[in-house]
Amino acid sequence: MTEPAADPALSGTQVAILDAYAGLIEELGSDDVSNRVIARRAGIAERTVFRNYPTRVDLLLATAAWIEATVFAREESHSIFDIPLAIREAMQRYDARPELAHVVAETAMRGVSGAAPSPGRAQLERLLDAEVPSLDAAQRTAVIAALSHLDSVGAWVTFRREFAMDRRDIADAAAWAAEAVLDSIRNRVAP
Amino acid sequence: MEEPVDTATAILASAAVLLRERTFDDISYRALADEVGISERTIYRQYPTRAHLLAALSNWIEQAFFPLPPFVTVSDFRAAVHERFRAFDALPAYAYVGARASAISPTLDIEPAYITRAIEAMLDVAAPTLNRRDRRRIAASLRYFSSAMFWARLRTSFDLDAAEICDAFDRAVDTVLAKLPDATRVEP
Repeated sequence: MTEPAADPALSGTQVAILDAYAGLIEELGSDDVSNRVIARRAGIAERTVFRNYPTRVDLLLATAAWIEATVFAREESHSIFDIPLAIREAMQRYDARPELAHVVAETAMRGVSGAAPSPGRAQLERLLDAEVPSLDAAQRTAVIAALSHLDSVGAWVTFRREFAMDRRDIADAAAWAAEAVLDSIRNRVAP
Repeated sequence: MEEPVDTATAILASAAVLLRERTFDDISYRALADEVGISERTIYRQYPTRAHLLAALSNWIEQAFFPLPPFVTVSDFRAAVHERFRAFDALPAYAYVGARASAISPTLDIEPAYITRAIEAMLDVAAPTLNRRDRRRIAASLRYFSSAMFWARLRTSFDLDAAEICDAFDRAVDTVLAKLPDATRVEP
């Protein structure tokens, strides 16, 4: 993979490990890859993998976060009403890298021991509060929750698996649903 | 529940017991073999990878603990999903297994879930003249908002309980169904 590391908190060794693991996941179609194989691909000692990521879950979570931040990075939206466009593009990126998309989807659904399932939530809240500040608490939560849910790889997995949709149809349906959610606030922008 | 009759089911029943005290990741094939009283090799024969085990376990849990009430109308659909979200809230460890299994790369050719077919049938009745693309958009949206993933996301990221998740679900369903042209709409 050629994408640059987005997280400056990661060391060069860590990026090498995550990049190697992500590459192997794509090649093998499974996240079941031994540390020995990951170490060889990264050109480091096996114990270096252990030292950075003591358990398999640590490694998976770090890898999923790194994939989200690099391979599936979003262009920043400047309005809540731009979110459907970002969703459309995100679905196309997921579809181009299905194995990585599944890994990100699964790690977000593990409950307390998993990744945060809605990494974009804070940004959605910022945009919504700036543009449509008049919503009551329940309305605000409902809009943010629905958009967070749609702007995630879970939508790609579900539309593909349950409806056998292709890339175009998934991008269309997810963006359409986001527009539907926005319909309820479209005309309530603060002057 | 009935007593498990075959090895495959016995493995799943024991995995469900272990899930009460640890996460799926912490259930090793060794511990599972000890719990069932069979060899580790027998488990590998039934479930060659953990993904196979996760998918089978999720199906079994779904049938045993989260049966979907049948629905034909939109209001029955809402009630059925509410009932599931409340059941998820009562057994979160089991519900997360379902959410997670629905996110993994499929291990076998997977048929769409029963709820998917039921939503499509519901829309056939509620909006018989609606064009195919809009029907699929609506079905896919309703399916995704009624999923274990929706429950898991709102519980984990938004710290909501079942009643609040049901409310967010109802509002999402409202926004999607508002897209139905009035003439096609047979809202009960």
